[in-house]
Amino acid sequence: MIRFIIRRVVVSIPVLLGILFLVFALARLLPGDPCVGALGERATPEKCALYNAQHGLDRPIPEQFAVYLGEIARGDLGTSIEEGKPIGDLLIERLPQTVELAFYALLFALVVGIPLGILSAAKRNSIVDVGTMMLANLGVSTPIFVLGLLLAFLFAIVLNHTPLALPPSGRLSPGAEAMPLVEAWGLEGLGGPPRAIIDFLSNIYTLNAILRFDWKLLGDTVRHMILPAITLGTIPLAIVARMTRSSLLDVLGQDYIRTARAKGLKERLVIVRHGVRNAMLPVVTIIGLQFGGLLSGAILTETIFRLGGVGSRVFEAVNGRDYAVIQGFTVVVAIGFLIVNLVVDVSYSYLDPRVRLR
Amino acid sequence: MLDAQEAMQLGATPQTRSSGLWRDTLGSLLRQRNAVVGLAIVVFLLLVALFADVLAVHGPDDVMLGVEPGVKKRDDPCIHLLGCPAETPEHWFGTDGNVRDVFSRVVHGARVSLQIGVLTVGMAIIVGTIIGAIAGYVGGFIDDLLMRLMDVLLAFPALLLAIAILTVLGRGLINAQLAIAIVAIPIYARVMRASVLSVRELDYVTASRALGESGAGILVRRILPNALTPLVVAGTLGIAGAVLDVAALSFVGIGAQPPLAEWGSMIGAERNQVFTAPHLIIFPGLAITLTVLGFNLLGDGLRDALDPRLNR
Amino acid sequence: MSRSPRWSLLALFATSAILFAACGGATSPSPSAASPSASGPAPSSGEPFDGAVYPENGESACGTEGYSGQMGLIKATAANTVEFTLCAPDAAFLSKVAFTTLGIQDADYLTETGGGGDLIREPVGTGPYKLDHWTDGQEIVLATNEDYWGDPPKTPNAVIRWSAEAAQRLVELQSGNVDGIDNVGADDFPTVEGDTSLQLKPRVALNIFYIGFNNTAAPFDKEEVRQAIAMGINRQEIVDTFYPPGSVVATHFTPCEIPGGCEGEDWYEFDAATAKQMLTDAGFDFSKTYPLSLRDVVRGYLPEPVTVATAIQAQLKTNLGINVSIDVRDENTYLNEASRGELKGIHLLGWGADYPDVTNFLDVHFGLGSTDQFGTKWDDITGPLKEGAETADQAAREAAYAKANDAIRQHVPMIPVAHGGSGLAFKADVEGAHSSPLGNEALFAMKAGDRDQIVWMQNGEPGGLYCPDETDGESLRVCEQIVEPLYSYEIGGTAPIPQLATGCEANDDSTVWTCTLRDGVTFHNGATLDANDVVATFAVQWDAEHPLHVGKPESGLFDYWTFLFAGFLNPPPPAA
Repeated sequence: MIRFIIRRVVVSIPVLLGILFLVFALARLLPGDPCVGALGERATPEKCALYNAQHGLDRPIPEQFAVYLGEIARGDLGTSIEEGKPIGDLLIERLPQTVELAFYALLFALVVGIPLGILSAAKRNSIVDVGTMMLANLGVSTPIFVLGLLLAFLFAIVLNHTPLALPPSGRLSPGAEAMPLVEAWGLEGLGGPPRAIIDFLSNIYTLNAILRFDWKLLGDTVRHMILPAITLGTIPLAIVARMTRSSLLDVLGQDYIRTARAKGLKERLVIVRHGVRNAMLPVVTIIGLQFGGLLSGAILTETIFRLGGVGSRVFEAVNGRDYAVIQGFTVVVAIGFLIVNLVVDVSYSYLDPRVRLR
Repeated sequence: MLDAQEAMQLGATPQTRSSGLWRDTLGSLLRQRNAVVGLAIVVFLLLVALFADVLAVHGPDDVMLGVEPGVKKRDDPCIHLLGCPAETPEHWFGTDGNVRDVFSRVVHGARVSLQIGVLTVGMAIIVGTIIGAIAGYVGGFIDDLLMRLMDVLLAFPALLLAIAILTVLGRGLINAQLAIAIVAIPIYARVMRASVLSVRELDYVTASRALGESGAGILVRRILPNALTPLVVAGTLGIAGAVLDVAALSFVGIGAQPPLAEWGSMIGAERNQVFTAPHLIIFPGLAITLTVLGFNLLGDGLRDALDPRLNR
Repeated sequence: MSRSPRWSLLALFATSAILFAACGGATSPSPSAASPSASGPAPSSGEPFDGAVYPENGESACGTEGYSGQMGLIKATAANTVEFTLCAPDAAFLSKVAFTTLGIQDADYLTETGGGGDLIREPVGTGPYKLDHWTDGQEIVLATNEDYWGDPPKTPNAVIRWSAEAAQRLVELQSGNVDGIDNVGADDFPTVEGDTSLQLKPRVALNIFYIGFNNTAAPFDKEEVRQAIAMGINRQEIVDTFYPPGSVVATHFTPCEIPGGCEGEDWYEFDAATAKQMLTDAGFDFSKTYPLSLRDVVRGYLPEPVTVATAIQAQLKTNLGINVSIDVRDENTYLNEASRGELKGIHLLGWGADYPDVTNFLDVHFGLGSTDQFGTKWDDITGPLKEGAETADQAAREAAYAKANDAIRQHVPMIPVAHGGSGLAFKADVEGAHSSPLGNEALFAMKAGDRDQIVWMQNGEPGGLYCPDETDGESLRVCEQIVEPLYSYEIGGTAPIPQLATGCEANDDSTVWTCTLRDGVTFHNGATLDANDVVATFAVQWDAEHPLHVGKPESGLFDYWTFLFAGFLNPPPPAA
């Protein structure tokens, strides 16, 4: 097991270097002086020269890459052109929102998708099955931005003044504030990485609310997350439902299921006790693969629902030419994606030892 | 939706179930409900795109202001047959913010989007197959290098990488297609490589090698035909993805530029009006969904028809 | 402020020394090192007042080498008196010192923050509201300043949110989440007016939307070409179709509400046939496609940027046979590209009034100090503009502006299209709801029913709240609630009225202005306002080499200072 993990980590290293090099190369390929990419067009020649010297941009390319790697290793992701803030700080503010959104979206996808898939498989070729699969096909084919806009229209305008009305934008009701955990716990003096971690967790409002027993805040957060989560979660939902169905059908064709049936077990018990558990393995893999799609989708979802996460910041950065933000975020997200896949691989191999032998 | 995992399966086909024999492709395609629906949608879209000039009542960029009396911007849909008063100018899908006929724009958009899908996937397939073929055929260090490179591309969320590439290339439809094509290359490279690996050691390939056929010759004449099946499947599904992704980039404003009747940019331009004139979002939105659905269903159907081992 | 002046003085020296060392050793000697009488902060009452002066050698900057600004000397003559010496008469002085960027900052806080850093996101002012917190990307919350010298805010808290989408803002208002919104969408005016639970507050259009040219690049270097396009655009149709009620077709660049703004002949009538003929005569190349540049940013003068651009594109094609391609530029760089004269095709831009004076429109765009946006300047425009700015006599000014406007009409550096009206909407129970022609609505003067917070939704998030280094209205409006200038514009109007000053008196030729400060004003951090704070506030903006002339990282441009007073002391060398 340990050897498998080590092997997977070692294989990931060249990919990691590749990711860093690609982002580095994109930064160098930007039109004009590289410092313009980092400081914006308003940079004076003096500021540029200073920046270039500081970041080794006046040296040969391999050396520049080495300097860049050093900066990344130290956690220095550059500075936002528009806000003048370190991108690390921006991430602490913005990423929690995206993590929270992705969590709810995935939760929606699993909680709805798996039962739908099981139902479909259990009643293969019935109306339920055909309908579910048609909906799943529609789900993966509807652009996120269309779905989001239409959901907002439906729940904020059509259903306005009904109990079903949901807020079309924002993360909390106006004026509502999630008290930072450091304040609630009297840790204002804390600094360094622990502070960063607590601040990060604190900005996941769901977690914040639970840790501080603030149920009003929790309710407010959840209410604001429903529409974005449905919007972002629909594509994973469709994929999970399809995967669950096909995987379960696979399992139900196996010998031991036939044996179980032959023993006279009720069909419901066969499916639940023997089928579902064994069918979940491929679904786990699929979940890991959804993260990339979720992050791509977050760019559109956050923009439509005016959520201040990483995605909407990328959208702003695109319009504001804030290359530094785009590149800093891209690196972090790609590395995060790599780690998630690593974890999925490892947990998969834990669940299914055969994988380790491959 | 074709992801990396499926791409590997397509090429390497490590499947356990084997049901039935190799059947006539079209026949088996037509035996599948989903595929028939998909094929019908795609043929319908092709016809719309071909006869856009005939179908569309107006030019896609024609401003109705001053041409038709009583026309306003963002007019609701008006179909005389359905009881819309005769004195109101007829616009099946209404008019947009620039007082253009939305129906005509949606119809012309089919042409744009089909071109986008085919061109983008075409670019990705050409580069991807070359990379995959070299990797699979040459093997060794080159294989490792190229495949790690593909892993790197796959390590990014597609849209984010496309946006990062577009910051370098600059906005515009062609560049957006390029960016999406680059992001899609690994899928085809993997499919191609897996096909090459699966036939490389087969007897007839070894035989032609023994007969002195050149490497390139073997690739083109012996291996490529075998890889066609998975490539066609991946490409069909890829068109769906490309249409969706380019529309997303256009929606964000860095893809197609006005006044081009591209569905994503039509929605992007009018997204402010979703609450007041939802028809401006709904019709282009439906058009995108229909297109993507068509290619997805057709792709799934093709996969099942061409490769029964994958049949689920 | 309990520290004695001597200690503070030392501290300031130390800070500036460190700053200079950090800057890699500036070549020119530090101004504070050259003069023993430095800008010390305020003493506590009873101690003798050590008044600051700037420049610190006490000599007026007027006429010194390399200096082109209008400000000569700023001097704290007493703890509550500041004297401004100008280089030329300035009839608009009070309007200028009422501008938000000249809101008075605490001198000590400026020093503490090094002129940047925390200053950007944690502003300290004297206003009725103080910043409670700013959740990045979400909202800004303001709370009552308990020690405010004047009337407390009508609603205890103010929440500022933002959304770029007009429709979304309206939905938030209709669903009751917010109490007031900026820029109602052009299509939504009837909706708001028809809704008894809402009130509409139209905003007078002190702005201009124009189609610009650059006269250095073919084919728009030909005057006849520009004139022809000026005649070939149906401006009435654009205004009727895309602009909200209250908008008007522009007869001149400057709106007529501004005194002396509409002198001279009206703009050309729409005449496509003549225009087409003129183009043909001028040998215009109809086969080429020219760029039509714009930024996709909603402003009062341009409610739907891309849609209007598309309409102009269609008009150019239909009316004149000119092909243009729409070129949406990145919003942050667009203004720079424009002012550097890099937009060589046709470009769309606009301007909103900062203070209600012709100079804020014409001089900024076409005066001697204007940018290269329109290419080479015309002497018959710059000449009359200089005349107009330097005289205080209204009749003489009007004559000068008539000449300038006629010359603009002839040379067509741009086509003035519309003065865009805009509208704000509030819940019906918001008392004191108003709109300001300058866009600086006073939230503290509004009472949101019986609620304890007023929620205001504007177009965008502020870039920062140290407003001397900001230019966009979204930031300035928020600063307006927190900091106060010496004067301020009357609520909902444009007339300057005393704010932190009880009054400013001019000498006979309006070159020396003496302002008396209000007593008992404290900053949000507890510091007491005195004349040295005023000197410091102005000096850090004025002197480009001031150690505290810092602002936002990678910005530090202090654009408005140059708009208001024409130039920096120790101006930076022009960028390459």
